[in-house]
Amino acid sequence: MKRILNWFRLRRLEDDLDRELQYHIDRRVTDLIQSGLPEPEARRRVALELGGVTQVREEVRDTWLTRWLRDFVYDLRFSARSFRRSPSFTATAVLSLALGIGATTALYSLVDQVMLRALPVDHPERLVLIDWNGEQRAEIYGSDNVMSYPICQDLQQQKEFFDGVFCRAATSVILSTGEEPRVTAAELVSGAYFSLLGVRPALGRLFSNDDDQTPGSSPVVVLSYDFWKNQFGGAEDVVGRKVLVNRNPMTVVGVAAPGFRGIDVGEIPSLWIPTAMASLVPGLNDAMLDRRTAWVQILGRLKQNVSLTQAQTGLQPWFKAMLEEDTRRTNLSKASAERRRQFLLSTLRLTPAPQGHSPFRNYISRPLWVLFVTTAVLLALACLNVAGLFLARGSARQRELSTRLALGASRGRIGRQLLADSVLLAFAGGLLGVVMAPFAVRALIAFLPSAPIAANGLEASVDTRMLLFTFLVSMATGFLSGAAPALQACNKSLASSLRKRAGTAMGGLSLRRAMVTTQIAFTLILIIASGLYVRTLFGLLAKGPGFDTSSLISFTVRGAQDSNRLIRQIHEEIRSSPNTQSSALVQVPLLFGGVWGNPLTIQSTERFVTDRDVQLNAVTPGFFATLGTRIVSGRDFDEHDSRPLNEGGRRVVIVNEAFVKRYFGGRSPLGAHVGMGSRPDVKTDGEIIGVVEDISYGSIRERWEQAYFPQGQNYFGSVFYVRFRGTAESAVAAMRAILRNADPTMPAPLFLRTLDEQIDRSLNTERMLAALSTAFGILALVLSLVGLYGVMSFVVTQRTREIGIRLALGATRHSTLWLILRDALVMIAAGTAIALPCVWALGRLVESQLYDIKPTDPLTILAATLVLCSTALSAALIPARRASAVNPTDALRFE
Amino acid sequence: MPSSRFPIPQGTLDMLILQILSLEPAHGYGIAQRLEQISNSVVQVNQGSLYPALHRLEQKGWLKADWKQSETGREAKFYALTRSGQKQLRVEKDSWARLTGAVQLIFEEGTEQ
Repeated sequence: MKRILNWFRLRRLEDDLDRELQYHIDRRVTDLIQSGLPEPEARRRVALELGGVTQVREEVRDTWLTRWLRDFVYDLRFSARSFRRSPSFTATAVLSLALGIGATTALYSLVDQVMLRALPVDHPERLVLIDWNGEQRAEIYGSDNVMSYPICQDLQQQKEFFDGVFCRAATSVILSTGEEPRVTAAELVSGAYFSLLGVRPALGRLFSNDDDQTPGSSPVVVLSYDFWKNQFGGAEDVVGRKVLVNRNPMTVVGVAAPGFRGIDVGEIPSLWIPTAMASLVPGLNDAMLDRRTAWVQILGRLKQNVSLTQAQTGLQPWFKAMLEEDTRRTNLSKASAERRRQFLLSTLRLTPAPQGHSPFRNYISRPLWVLFVTTAVLLALACLNVAGLFLARGSARQRELSTRLALGASRGRIGRQLLADSVLLAFAGGLLGVVMAPFAVRALIAFLPSAPIAANGLEASVDTRMLLFTFLVSMATGFLSGAAPALQACNKSLASSLRKRAGTAMGGLSLRRAMVTTQIAFTLILIIASGLYVRTLFGLLAKGPGFDTSSLISFTVRGAQDSNRLIRQIHEEIRSSPNTQSSALVQVPLLFGGVWGNPLTIQSTERFVTDRDVQLNAVTPGFFATLGTRIVSGRDFDEHDSRPLNEGGRRVVIVNEAFVKRYFGGRSPLGAHVGMGSRPDVKTDGEIIGVVEDISYGSIRERWEQAYFPQGQNYFGSVFYVRFRGTAESAVAAMRAILRNADPTMPAPLFLRTLDEQIDRSLNTERMLAALSTAFGILALVLSLVGLYGVMSFVVTQRTREIGIRLALGATRHSTLWLILRDALVMIAAGTAIALPCVWALGRLVESQLYDIKPTDPLTILAATLVLCSTALSAALIPARRASAVNPTDALRFE
Repeated sequence: MPSSRFPIPQGTLDMLILQILSLEPAHGYGIAQRLEQISNSVVQVNQGSLYPALHRLEQKGWLKADWKQSETGREAKFYALTRSGQKQLRVEKDSWARLTGAVQLIFEEGTEQ
């Protein structure tokens, strides 16, 4: 400790020592003169006695600082001085390292926030997600890993394994706090949610089990800290205030602690509502207690000494018993024997959930990892480049280093000096990288797909974890880029390098060749990846959703009072607006990722059930015309079809071509009947009256079997599709005006945008991957071209004499050019030979993100290889031409 | 160099310095002179190793140093024993006594045979 403190007062210690030694010398000299020695002789004696003042000073310094620390300080000073002398070298090296480190840090920040960071709750490591593994045979509401509410209640009795079990469901509500009502992200949570997570209130109280006893009995909400600050201005008297949730009055009872933002990093709720109030959420209605309606994620906190496997095994007997009991309950008792068997094979699955539960994470983690690995590769390329620069510099410094060796410096000492060089550079790069990273993170977040209503919890901020990561990465970078030159310096034979004339040292040429080859291999892999991603994006854009997206807008209306009547009225007004060409309503919006899927039972010549889910939607007459989708045979719905059954309506269905192809083998399906569901008692009373072209539903990637029902019988949607006249801006303004006039208390429409914009949004991930991989590919290409150029220039300088002799002896310019280019060609060919098997092996990692293209697509690989080879050859050609232009007389006089 | 003088045994320099300073504070040159006097010019102290030793002992906290006026009127760095230095001196004296005692024992046994 003291020694480290000494570091900061070295100057003073040095001064003290000088004075002390001077005192000794002066006294001794005086004494010796007094004893009769002449002054010069006295001085000589003193120096002899001390054994060299410099030596003493060195030894004393060793007591101040530990040896390595002192050397390191001196090394750093020396490095800094030598860097100041060659600013262009320093700038190149620092900048390339900064780019590499900055990009890696930015991706790490996202990977950390999305995947690694545990929730800010008590003992997150004991949280587990409890999930159904197998055929659940339930109506699914919401995404990923949902089960029914009664299962959660059952699990809460399993006190042997859990400290407690809670459930939650993400939703959105129309919230009005006195001002204009707004659609707000909310989380339905069971009473034990906050206490099990160990979250404390910042104000008022949080939920308890009492809030979750009887459905509908507890009209209370808890606000998130951020929402309270932003929406209520942090008002102290917020507790006890009434707010309207989906037009029902509810009381604010508290505010959650700052920093707690739910358990899903992809969807941050603004308020929490007890699950007992789930009936407020439209669609769910009274299904809350139904065992065949899955809508909550269930999480538990394991007891202190219970392992995940113990709990999982221990819960199976109860789970099996529940399955048995379920098969005797009404709905399932009629299922076919096969389906019942499958149902009974289900197990309960526990997975660790210290980071909570997030569908967003499930979706985004693969692309993020791919990008993170890519930036790491990029950083490795930058390291290789800097190592190459160092090697070149090292051979220029060969004589200096040899001289130092001859004067007695140890090889380890010189190696350490070179390492200090690269560590200093890497830290400069790291510092710059940390400054750049937040901007990169912000740009990346903008690229990431976001949930429709809730914001995600990602931030572009610098935190300790990120700084630690950057520090470690910079350290590793420093060692990686310094290791090769340092080892090189240590292995030189002293005698041979001193004997050589300056400029003829071969400076680790074979090492540099190997590094350039590696760079070329990495670069080719990156270029191929970017080619695949770009072709995927353009392939998807070219393919389109299957309908004409120009002059088309869509929006969703929510929270209208007496909604069906009002929506019909709004639709009338939209239709009569001069801005409207045609318009229609649907139940589920297109290209939002989600679909409504269910098996259908088909009755044509025989009765059978579709072998997989059919994509369903309910639409008004004119929907296909509005989209511009052709009706291939039969007819569209008409007003007659939309009437309720008891008012003369008929059950009719329109299917698409993919459906006909799969289930009718291309024969006309008109007149056949279908029914929703797969149970033997399904009534197949819907007649197929038309066939339409295929369009994309969830995303552009897919063209699935689809079936459409008329709106108005059982289904009411509130998603409008309007083909407009004139500009998009005027159409948007007209729509807003119509909605405001129809019901001023209604929240502003959601997702009001053109279909082109919606397509852009739905391709966010693809665009991110294409843009970033291209940027990284170009960066990598530049880095390895610089590396190749450096090596080739070096080779040419080395061989100038040889070339001169060759030319003097009658070699042609052509053969000289070839002599040098051959060298480059070998490296390029070797790099390509390494890269191609890697592409083949890595292909599986990216396959799921590609569309209509194999990771080993020959055209892409060929194009990428051509790009790389041609640019690399041009980079090599510059030094090669210089070689062929050598004047033999000059070359022989050279040096 | 006169061969009648022994180089000082390794590790004993620290002990001697502590012993000299236990009498009174002194500066480096003073300590060198005292070492010469006390040992009757039998033991040869390399003056070059004196200063590293002093600084080492100071770093260990056994000595403290102050700039004071010396007998010639010039400022010199005076070293003095700290409390932990006194303790260390006792420890070293003790172990030295045991070592020499043991060596003595071995010698005596050798003469008996």
